[in-house]
Amino acid sequence: MSAASLQAGHALARASLDACVKCNICETQCPVMAVQPNFAGPKFVGPQAERFRQGESVDRTLDYCSSCGSCTLACPQGVKVAELNSQARAVMKAGHMPLRDRLISQTVLMGKVMSPIAPLANGALRVKALRVLIEAFFGVARDAPMPVAAGGSFERWFARRAKRRGGSPPPDADRSRLGPDERPDKPRDGCDAGEVGAAGEADCIGRLTPNARSRGKIVFFHGCAGNYFEVETSKRAVEVLEHLGYEVLVPRQGCCGLARQSNGIFDGATKNVLELCAALRSAGADLPIVSASGSCTGMLKHEAHEIMGVDTPELADVSARVKDVMEFLADLDAAGELPHKFQPIEATVPYHAPCQLKSQGMGLPALDVLALIPGLKVVESGRACCGIAGTYGLKKEKRAIAQAVGAPLFEMFRETGGDLGICDTETCRWQLRQGSGMRVEHPIFLVHQALGLGDA
Amino acid sequence: MTGVVVIGAGLSGLAAACALAKRGVPVRLVAEGLGGMALSQGTVDLWGHDPAPVARPLERIAAAPQGHPYRAIGAHNVRSGVELLLDLLGEGFLEGDIETNTLLPTALGALRPTALYPPSMAAGAPSDGARWALVGFDRVRDFYPRLAAGNLNRTQLPGGGFVHASAHMLDLPDHPLLGGADASAMTVARVFDQPGYAQMVARAIAPLVKGHDAVGLPAVLGATGRDAWATLTRELGKPVFEVSLPPPSLPGHRLGQALTSRARELGVRVALGARVTRFTAEAGRVIAVHAAAAGAPRPYRADEFVYCPGGFESGALTMDSRHGIVERLFGLPLTGLAPVDELITADYGARQKVFEVGVRVDDEMRPVDPAGEPVYANLRVAGSLLGGAIRWAEKSGEGLALGSAWAAVEAIGRSAA
Repeated sequence: MSAASLQAGHALARASLDACVKCNICETQCPVMAVQPNFAGPKFVGPQAERFRQGESVDRTLDYCSSCGSCTLACPQGVKVAELNSQARAVMKAGHMPLRDRLISQTVLMGKVMSPIAPLANGALRVKALRVLIEAFFGVARDAPMPVAAGGSFERWFARRAKRRGGSPPPDADRSRLGPDERPDKPRDGCDAGEVGAAGEADCIGRLTPNARSRGKIVFFHGCAGNYFEVETSKRAVEVLEHLGYEVLVPRQGCCGLARQSNGIFDGATKNVLELCAALRSAGADLPIVSASGSCTGMLKHEAHEIMGVDTPELADVSARVKDVMEFLADLDAAGELPHKFQPIEATVPYHAPCQLKSQGMGLPALDVLALIPGLKVVESGRACCGIAGTYGLKKEKRAIAQAVGAPLFEMFRETGGDLGICDTETCRWQLRQGSGMRVEHPIFLVHQALGLGDA
Repeated sequence: MTGVVVIGAGLSGLAAACALAKRGVPVRLVAEGLGGMALSQGTVDLWGHDPAPVARPLERIAAAPQGHPYRAIGAHNVRSGVELLLDLLGEGFLEGDIETNTLLPTALGALRPTALYPPSMAAGAPSDGARWALVGFDRVRDFYPRLAAGNLNRTQLPGGGFVHASAHMLDLPDHPLLGGADASAMTVARVFDQPGYAQMVARAIAPLVKGHDAVGLPAVLGATGRDAWATLTRELGKPVFEVSLPPPSLPGHRLGQALTSRARELGVRVALGARVTRFTAEAGRVIAVHAAAAGAPRPYRADEFVYCPGGFESGALTMDSRHGIVERLFGLPLTGLAPVDELITADYGARQKVFEVGVRVDDEMRPVDPAGEPVYANLRVAGSLLGGAIRWAEKSGEGLALGSAWAAVEAIGRSAA
């Protein structure tokens, strides 16, 4: 770990330090402090300890911080409490990064290994004896939720689909490079463009609107989990965007480095995020970038710059263009550009807004969009965190904390009723599925269903 | 209408947002962070000191002098604003009489006038000859019963007479959630929410408080509800009252959390972490405010804007190194400006007029320029940004917040009609 990479973001966060008046409001909101009294709390290990820090922190309870960001979000004075904590933890761990933390932050590797042998890999992770061994050797909690690999990746689905539609298969999926005659223009399976009514609206399930691609091109950022594990979320997001009339481009892309960042591996994470920026920009200048991976979007918009201090024009460009898919839809609606053609869904659904989505300062766009669906009642959890906080809750020594943090949320999900809950980010969904025993999906599932594109 | 944007998540912002949502108006609340309610006493102060104690706050408000923000707000709006709060919080959250102030003890043992208070503070209303046991907890900072009892015992009550307070300390029973030394009030409060803990504390306190009429405890009796207070009252067989502490103040925190939940239930859309950094205006109207967000700033357009950013404490008002005072977002005209040596005096106890600096409004809560003309037709201000009052000296903070929030909401209703 280079000293430079640990210093880069630090000046930025440290500049907010003097705004701390020690009002303790952050401590009233910290979900970890509420269940683990040995954690000295965000104010103490953040701005207060920072005043005495030159290099390594003297207070090691800092390691209890899950970096959920509830403190920064709550701070009325704009102090970057969570950012200071993440930076201090990276300094604390530098030079003796646990092997476990190196491994669990290799999200692409996990996907690549697990996907081709999905049934085997998924089955193996359900074998208790194996999980006990993994816990003993690597420190990954035996009962922590593991991602479930989908048989095929999103990339493969997207490429095959493009091929089936008559376009040349885009190995890099960069269809913007194809000539006009080569572009895939055949609508989805079972839908013939000739059947579309003159009213100009889709009236057959799964059909592209006659104004297909009339809204122009859009870049889809799938994230590692969206490629290998939460593939259905990515597919549905793409189908919704296409239904609305966008031509979706999927450039070949890698990891955003979020898991490395949250484990304090800043060098590797910086490399990841810069490569990702180059990939996303390769699809075309000034195109909107949309993602259904709420936390990876947060990495591009916020953490890479504010925590790691990455300060390149490429990142600045991508971070201003990238939007969470629900944010994108809510913004369309605010601009009067989202047709309110939603079929009713008679259901009451609990919704948890993940910490990393809330940290983006955009409110809760999923609520705005889902409010447009007739009959649907969405109940917001009002809880700070589900406990998992990326990879925090996977760790043997943190698992009990993560479960205690999540317990009231699991209960809220079960009490709200129904069999479906919604949440915008992947690891939180894994945690919520395991904790509540319910099916938990991305809010795009409900939009997809209400648009008549298939069942949620 | 495209709705209303409320800026600020303190008492005035949340009250205005809830009132609008109740009327079916789409409301978006945009704020840098949580409001300062967890820094407050958790009471509703309308007008407490003038500088002598005020007995009947609404009468005093009705007679507010020229230049005082209550003059523009009006007593009727304060009354309606308080009724709104009571309605939002529901039965039993606050009690007291909005016509008549009640004195309640502070952590230093002073007696502070307020109009409404949580039921857990009610038994702290003093009476001549009352024998109080003030019990501090070893791990709770900021409540020193000997100090509080000493001050209380030498304070003559308004009707004559004294309370007789004795001081006691208790080592709190252990609990896994209590952790090591130096627990915060919040941590202790969460432990009081754990099943059986209040009973354990009651058993430990009982021998200390024999022969007393009431028991005063630091306000750490639960992070959310008041089950712990009710249990202690029942188990001890005598009235128990909480005494508010410095931040994080649990009674203030409970109030803030309850109002925030209420806003969510009413459908107020809240964006936190969204510091409003600039605005656009056209033809005397605010068109949009733009808030910082991850990635790129986000615009918030609306028909009406209610600006509840707080005062100096939150940075809405700032003083630069040359003693220039500005309202940071809209650059609104300020009242009460004067050379700095008139605003700030070296005598710590003297009235520091700098805290009277703020925005002057018309009776529609629109900021006005020195000629009395509204600056923007659809911008209204509520809460601590209002100039002309020193809220903590007067004990008028909640009354000003609720009254101005209500007046702004009413004015929006009239302008939409």
